Amino acid sequence: MLEVGELDAWYGQAQALWGVSLTVGDGEVVCVVGPNGAGKTTLVHAIGGLHRQLRGHIRLGGADLAGIAPHRVSEHGVSVVPEGRRVFAHLSVHENLCLGAYRKGARAAHRETLAGVHELFPRLAERARQPAGSLSGGEQQMLAIGRALMAQPRLLLLDEPSLGLAPLVVDEVFDAIGVINRRGVSILLVEQDVERALDLADRAYLLSEGRVVTAGTSAELRASDTIRRSVLGY
Amino acid sequence: MTVAAARWRALAAGRSGLVALVGVFAALSALSLYRQTLGFPVYYLTLLTTMLFWTAQATSWNLLSGYAGYFSFGQAAYVGVGAYSTAVLYGRHQVNFFISMLAAGVLAGLLALAVGAVAFRLRSLRGEIFALLTLAVPFILAALARINPTVDGGQGIIVAVPPFPDQLGRTEDFLYLTMLAVAGIAVVAAFAVQRARIGWALTAVRDAEDVSEVLGVATFRYKMQAIVLGAVLGGIAGSMFAVQIGFVTVDSVFTLTIPLFVIVMSVLGGRTHWFGPVLGAVLIVLLQDRLSASGLDRWRLLVLGAVLVVLVAVAPDGLYDRFRRRPRTAVATLALTVLVLRLIDRWGGPTDWLLIGLLAATATAVLPNPGAAGPAATRWGAARGGAAEPVDAEPAGAAAPVTAAGTVATGIVTAAPGAVAVPIGAAAPVVAEPGAAAPVGAAEPAAAGPAAAAPGATERGAAASAPEPATGDRPGPAGAPSGAGAVLVECRQVSRSFGGVRALSGLSLQLRAGELVALVGPNGSGKSTLVGLLSGALRPTSGTILVGGRDITRLPPHRVAHCGVARTYQIPRPFASMTVRDNVAMAVLFGRHRHSLAQARRAAEEQLAVVGLDRLADAHPAALNLHQRQLLEIARAVATEPTVLLLDEALAGLNPTEVDSAVRVVRRIYQAGVTIVIIEHVLRVVTQLATRVVVLDRGTRLADGDPGTVLADPAVVAAYLGKRAHA
Amino acid sequence: MSTLQAALSGALIGGLYTLMAAGLSVTWGVLRVINLTHFAMILLGAYLSFQLTTSWGIDPVLTVAITAPLLFVLGAALQWVFDRLAIAELNSLLLTFGLLVIATQAVSEIWTANFQQLPAGANPYATRSLSLGRLVFPVSTLLAFGFALVVVGGAHLALRRTFAGRAMRAFAADRPVAAAFGVDHRRLGMLLAGLAAASAAVAGMLFALANSLTPATAYEWFGIVFAVVILGGVGQVVGTMLAGVLVGVLSGVVSAVLSPSAVPFVLFSAIVLALLVRPQGLFAGLGAGAAG
Repeated sequence: MLEVGELDAWYGQAQALWGVSLTVGDGEVVCVVGPNGAGKTTLVHAIGGLHRQLRGHIRLGGADLAGIAPHRVSEHGVSVVPEGRRVFAHLSVHENLCLGAYRKGARAAHRETLAGVHELFPRLAERARQPAGSLSGGEQQMLAIGRALMAQPRLLLLDEPSLGLAPLVVDEVFDAIGVINRRGVSILLVEQDVERALDLADRAYLLSEGRVVTAGTSAELRASDTIRRSVLGY
Repeated sequence: MTVAAARWRALAAGRSGLVALVGVFAALSALSLYRQTLGFPVYYLTLLTTMLFWTAQATSWNLLSGYAGYFSFGQAAYVGVGAYSTAVLYGRHQVNFFISMLAAGVLAGLLALAVGAVAFRLRSLRGEIFALLTLAVPFILAALARINPTVDGGQGIIVAVPPFPDQLGRTEDFLYLTMLAVAGIAVVAAFAVQRARIGWALTAVRDAEDVSEVLGVATFRYKMQAIVLGAVLGGIAGSMFAVQIGFVTVDSVFTLTIPLFVIVMSVLGGRTHWFGPVLGAVLIVLLQDRLSASGLDRWRLLVLGAVLVVLVAVAPDGLYDRFRRRPRTAVATLALTVLVLRLIDRWGGPTDWLLIGLLAATATAVLPNPGAAGPAATRWGAARGGAAEPVDAEPAGAAAPVTAAGTVATGIVTAAPGAVAVPIGAAAPVVAEPGAAAPVGAAEPAAAGPAAAAPGATERGAAASAPEPATGDRPGPAGAPSGAGAVLVECRQVSRSFGGVRALSGLSLQLRAGELVALVGPNGSGKSTLVGLLSGALRPTSGTILVGGRDITRLPPHRVAHCGVARTYQIPRPFASMTVRDNVAMAVLFGRHRHSLAQARRAAEEQLAVVGLDRLADAHPAALNLHQRQLLEIARAVATEPTVLLLDEALAGLNPTEVDSAVRVVRRIYQAGVTIVIIEHVLRVVTQLATRVVVLDRGTRLADGDPGTVLADPAVVAAYLGKRAHA
Repeated sequence: MSTLQAALSGALIGGLYTLMAAGLSVTWGVLRVINLTHFAMILLGAYLSFQLTTSWGIDPVLTVAITAPLLFVLGAALQWVFDRLAIAELNSLLLTFGLLVIATQAVSEIWTANFQQLPAGANPYATRSLSLGRLVFPVSTLLAFGFALVVVGGAHLALRRTFAGRAMRAFAADRPVAAAFGVDHRRLGMLLAGLAAASAAVAGMLFALANSLTPATAYEWFGIVFAVVILGGVGQVVGTMLAGVLVGVLSGVVSAVLSPSAVPFVLFSAIVLALLVRPQGLFAGLGAGAAG
């Protein structure tokens, strides 16, 4: 369903991604792991429409997303949960969620979608009127995921959802991601926490220094020590 | 270019510039003193007087607003104060005119002192809010003048022309010569400021104020000097203004027209050079004069507004820069146009021809040059790859630069002790080649602000390279024994929060002399925040930080720099308008010891040689690639002669070869006696370089010790690779 | 007049100040440009209302039905041009300053620099007042306050309840993420600029009701408007209303107790104090806000 082919990305003069190719099938959970600075966030931003200095292609159900205007990307069914949550701090929880349904295709049904999100994350319903900035880290993460779901995506991109969260909270978050996947949304998960990512995902890619070093099923990658060497250097 | 040549050039420019100014001054005086002999029409004298007045105003405005970039809308305040000082003292109370002029300068200066003291202290007051605040000042003064009968009381004051010696000639001569003197002083002042330490400081403030503070520039002091000097000159010129208009009223001196004129003139001419406002003043006055003469008086302001709009849209940097790039074209166009019009002699007079000639020259400067190649824009976003003028286009692996020892080292890896070879060739503009063996880690996107990273913001760094260690000489952690040296830096229970989020939590840490500490940790662990705190760019929310036993918690950044702490930035932040050499020279100029400019430049060149950038000393930062800019950052930081150097992801975005060379640079600096703290993601580098590793995780210290032990610590492994749920 | 009268009248006039400032504040907060042409819009609104009343005898208040849509289009078009030119922030200040100068000169050309005033016959609002005991309130000030309440209230609701309003606030908070959710900054910018210009039209009309017009008036508004914007918090709609009333009350009271000329001084001191103590605006945190 998602096909990234030979993707290069730049920040000004510095190249961040080199010929990255990956796929995400319908209903799959795919994770991308790798050391800091490998380009994982760049990859997510590129697919999600937050980064535009690109070369190569990003195909989603036939349409090429690379280089189209950022505000048009969501219309193709991609939704991002950015690293660090990046919720709109001064808007209420409710307003954040409604904003998620801003795109034309999602607006009509936004009340139903909202109900679904509340079912998944009851705490968001409780805190509907609170400003998003006053939520705890875990709640903000759920809000960010909920916001992304409001856009009724076919593909959900998550950038380091475990970042800065206590282990119990991370459990909750990852459980929720599992539920979302079972409802039919494909997932591309970028994570620093390799263990959890491999537990959840069907397949995995190891990204290092802007290139794909290895790819395979979670089982395969768990068995090899390529990842540890990549991150820790030994 | 060698130091001697550069030095001579600077000296010559300075001296010849000064000579030229004196010459022009003499020539202009002669126009009045020998007016009758020369047959010079009085009308032109008046025109020149107006030009001189506006030159003085625009030049004085430019001192703060152009050089330092602090846009002021309040020039009318100084003019008004000056005009009223003279009007009240001389016009009403018959105090000697020149004494009133002095008073005008002093009062305007005091006003600027007050404005600056308030405005420059408020951290939130950069940019637009400063502009708006200065806008308010003339309004306030106008109101005060209007209600206060000792000043004006709404009546206006008549100012007669002061008595002057008969030899000078007519009133116009007197006005002209006085104005010439005032303008001359202003221009010389701008000339001097541009060349002196303060000029450098102001340029640094304009390019990157917080970086300059961290380098040791006492920004508040220099900004105050600029604003006061500008005000004094503006006030004195305002004094002359009173005489010129003869009848001073609140509306005539506190009008918005004055800042409008001044801004347009400086923006038109160019704000970074003393000649810019002169050029702008001449052009605009000429334009306005011709409009009046053609009966189009009503359109004066409209034309001015239009000029401003077009300028900002098309050539916001002004004309002087453009003229300087192609001086012959400009002069030729001017001469040719004037000549042609003179020959035709069908229309207008000399001033008309001059104006048309200048406009024609302007057009050639402003219109894009068909010959110059613009950056190729790909379909997706900004141009990638090399900057406009790649300085070094040598292929990878080409010869390295001359080392400090004077011998040329070839190849990339050199075993020569003390010689640092940096493959400048390999550092040529990044060109993407599929399959090229030079993967580059992600660099920070342009949206990031100063290095104070909010938690959760990605800390990008050089990625771990391929699993097998690189070849070449790497004799393990840097040679010097990590002995228990004196404690240089100490953090006591330091916490820092951003909004509601805790970046650092009760951190206590000691850095000792002779250490090379690697500060590592997962994303969001607080590493960059710690660097910000140690360099004085951030204040801790709680806790104390001591450098050399001295509490720096409350000190402004430039004082922290003088305590011996230097830092580099994750995203290199050079001073864009200075050359590479001058970027480093800045650090020396404003460092702990006083140096002359020549000495600073010499020292800069030595530093550049250490990092291998001496070949690029005359280039501008825009022409450097990422690796070179990072080396420039390091050179600049080291040039402050620090005892502690903080390297914030100095290896970010480099390929393995570049990483190796950067590591060598770092080691060399360390061996020269600088204690180093390096934030790094590339753990292989950490094991090579560091004597000690400190691991941060979520704002607290997770582990601290020698590299081998720390990296094998299961807690550290878990922090990096993941925590098992309920393990 | 009594201090109470001065304060209350001032509070009502504060409505006018609010309307003048709101558009500028929101565009500054969301689009990050200080658009000085806003003052030209107010000026144009005033003069157009004046012209429509004197030439075609339309009730002055109703002229906004024409001037507001007209200026909406003008504002949106200008924003489109700015967007194309992609001007840096400080330069936008210069650019719009130039445009303001051009606009005031153009107004001067068309309507001359002489003071113009709505003729008493066509303008019943200037002469009538409402009396409450010993307090007298000119109808024009009541109208100003009323309009301000409506506009600010409407804006507040729109920013909270409508998709476009939330989009603007999200955009002000985090541009790239907002874009990733489909917020088109170009169209948003044009909509916002258009609405700001329309509010300026209303402000202009209200100004024309009670004052005489001359092109230079545009510059005289700077002080008041920036005082309101900064005290209210850039981008804060409700804050702007509160600040408008505050500035109005301050001006009125200072005018009555000290002297009208002391007003700029007091306002200026207030701004400086506010920047020192609470730079995000005295009333930040209340209400929806745009920049937040």
